[in-house]
Amino acid sequence: MLRSRAAIIAAVTLACLIALLAIGAWGFGIEYSYTLQTVAIGGGLLGLISGVIGSFGVLRQQSLMGDAISHAALPGVAIAFLIAGRELGALMIGAGIASLLGVYWITAVTQTSRIKQDTAMGIVLVSWFAFGIALLSYIQGRPDASQAGLDRFIFGQAAAITAEDVRLITVIGTGLLLITALFWKEFKLIAFNYEFAAANGYPVRFLDALLSLMIVITIVLGLQLAGVILMVGLLIAPAVAARQWVTGLGAMVGLAGVFGLFAGMIGSGVSALDVGLPTGPMIILIASLIVAIALLFAPERGVIAQWRRTHQTVSKE
Amino acid sequence: MDTILIEFLLLFTTPEALNSGLSDPRLVATLVGILVAISGALLGTFLLLRRMSLMTDAISHTILLGIVVTFMALLAIPGLEPDLSSPWLILGAAGAGVITVILTETLTRSGLVKADAALGIAFPLLFALSVILISRYIENVHLDTDAVIVGEIGLVWADTHSYCLAQCDPITITPEDPRAEVRRVCVNCTRGGIGPRDPEAIFEEECNNCGTYSAAEAWGARLIDTAPSLVYFPKALGVMSLITLLNLFFVIGFYKELKLSTFDPALARSLGLRPGLIHYALMFLVSVTAVGAFDAVGSILVIAFFIVPAAAAYLLTDRLALILVIAPIIGGFGAYFGYDLARGNLFGLQVNDLLVILDPILGLDGYTTWNVSISASMVIMLFLAFMGVWILSPRYGLIANSLRRSDQQRRFREQMILGHLANHPDQPEERALSTLHQHFGWSRWGMAWVIFRLRSQGAITIQDDLTELSESGRAALAAFRQVNLPHVTPQHADSVQ
Repeated sequence: MLRSRAAIIAAVTLACLIALLAIGAWGFGIEYSYTLQTVAIGGGLLGLISGVIGSFGVLRQQSLMGDAISHAALPGVAIAFLIAGRELGALMIGAGIASLLGVYWITAVTQTSRIKQDTAMGIVLVSWFAFGIALLSYIQGRPDASQAGLDRFIFGQAAAITAEDVRLITVIGTGLLLITALFWKEFKLIAFNYEFAAANGYPVRFLDALLSLMIVITIVLGLQLAGVILMVGLLIAPAVAARQWVTGLGAMVGLAGVFGLFAGMIGSGVSALDVGLPTGPMIILIASLIVAIALLFAPERGVIAQWRRTHQTVSKE
Repeated sequence: MDTILIEFLLLFTTPEALNSGLSDPRLVATLVGILVAISGALLGTFLLLRRMSLMTDAISHTILLGIVVTFMALLAIPGLEPDLSSPWLILGAAGAGVITVILTETLTRSGLVKADAALGIAFPLLFALSVILISRYIENVHLDTDAVIVGEIGLVWADTHSYCLAQCDPITITPEDPRAEVRRVCVNCTRGGIGPRDPEAIFEEECNNCGTYSAAEAWGARLIDTAPSLVYFPKALGVMSLITLLNLFFVIGFYKELKLSTFDPALARSLGLRPGLIHYALMFLVSVTAVGAFDAVGSILVIAFFIVPAAAAYLLTDRLALILVIAPIIGGFGAYFGYDLARGNLFGLQVNDLLVILDPILGLDGYTTWNVSISASMVIMLFLAFMGVWILSPRYGLIANSLRRSDQQRRFREQMILGHLANHPDQPEERALSTLHQHFGWSRWGMAWVIFRLRSQGAITIQDDLTELSESGRAALAAFRQVNLPHVTPQHADSVQ
């Protein structure tokens, strides 16, 4: 029954998406140019991946881990740039290593001292970031000054996405989704009962690191399009919205992917139409709208459903 | 506010010395850094204890929305030229910070979203709104992204207000004044018509520099010969002094309320202490501090001044009052030595030398000058301070913990041996020195060390490869049993083998 509800909502969302695209074409005479298609497909794929990967973070109550580790990636990017120059692969490897060090630092501090996880995350976020900023200002001081474009890594650049980028997102995104499917049981277990998974001999440290790495990769993929802060939102919002409608993990992850797809396509599509509207913020606005709808109208959990329930109980009495 | 501060400072020094001090980039940057660190650490302590450390991250991003909205509102008022240092912007930004808190808490209280996810929805949304507003409506205001993230603490000394101490009379220049720059202008001249030499031409006197000047302006325009006694006071220093005092008064004045509503909000409420009000006052001050520090250290790095010193102090002591003293000291330490680090000097260690070593490995192209962002270096120093405390803290540090653990392990091992010997008085093969380690599954050397210690304590004697419990060993064992196994009688313990 719940599974079918997820299917219905997913179908409705996709139908809305197609309807919006059609209204755009016929109602407003929007031409779906090659650029627009590229941007919208890129944004949609990114949203889909973020929705799926983000679900696990939200369920583990580590939503802001994405925030921490994406800021923590900066020194890795800077060092990779120093060694290898502007090579996207090298920058991503650098980002991954720095973020993983951050994750290990968080684990080490929370396990060996009385510092709580949120504080440890805050410390890593800002200290790693500061180290990255120091390295960046060192790089900027270099006489050759070939560093232009590195702060795009922090803020993202709207609608400058190319077909090459979309291919990269597709390939890496497919890989991420495959890994999710492969480790489905393990991820499910550590999301709901970490201690049980550890006690049963699952390699929880490895799974932790793997999940963190997947979040890092997703964020790095999205930096071009949305920038760090807004990628954090895109990792959280679709999952939160999906959680209101359904209860099963499979249904939730799937629905989060569909919501992410919707927000990514519409958001980046709208911003590609009008130069004045930046991509990342538009995607976040749409995603927040989806969250608002879910919080209000979801059956059982939604605010309106809750209100009606208490109202009925009171009137019966 | 600044005037009081300056007069206070002048009790100790001359205006000339004060001016030369206040135009020293290093001194001003360090002072501002220390003030940011003190005010951040005071509030950050309570955020840490309330497990709201990451709220600073959210607030420091969403104050941008407050600044943008207030700026647009000020733009809409005709005849007002808003500038980015208006006090209204600080209030608007602080308001946005409070709105972030309210939005997050409303989401959390609905029970539909966990606290961390609520924060992760609220602040990207507000941040997205501000980015859209900026790019849509105030494109011409150049918001330097670098300045927003990192701040310009090295330059805050240059942005000053001037204060006059003596010879401060404002100067009014009238056209009759000899200093007035008066020129005669022909009012009815036209091209090809009436020329300036024409008798019909009407001349009027026009004064270029008439008007009223404050003493500082008059001196700047060289209208007076003797310099007024002026003090140039950096704006950021004034703002941060005010905010630091505000935070200090808040924490001291409402110490009891803050403490109780942090540790036991229910009790605080039942005692009528209004924990909700205290909570929002705290959040308002966090926002104000974040905005005030915005110019100096930027929007992201300011988080460090809230979180890191408080976390380090939390590892040193259990007493709230002490944390509130230690955290600002650690913060000030980071700000002070951070300036040196930015210039490549880490406690006398030269970063440039390290770069020279790294050059062939990383390929730095021979660029070995370490001269980097000051605020980032301050944060790095804070982090190093935290690492130092985490490792060295006498109570909660890594070293203290591992020493305590190895001490416990040693004592446990000694008791094991004593108990084993006491349980096997009649079985010499169980007490043979050469095979004893096999009974426990320990390494030979580990066993040798425990035996050595026990023997030097006089708890056991060794004769021809046979270990024997001595009288003092028996007494130690009995004492241990009395304390740790009070319900187990010795006979019973002996029968369990």
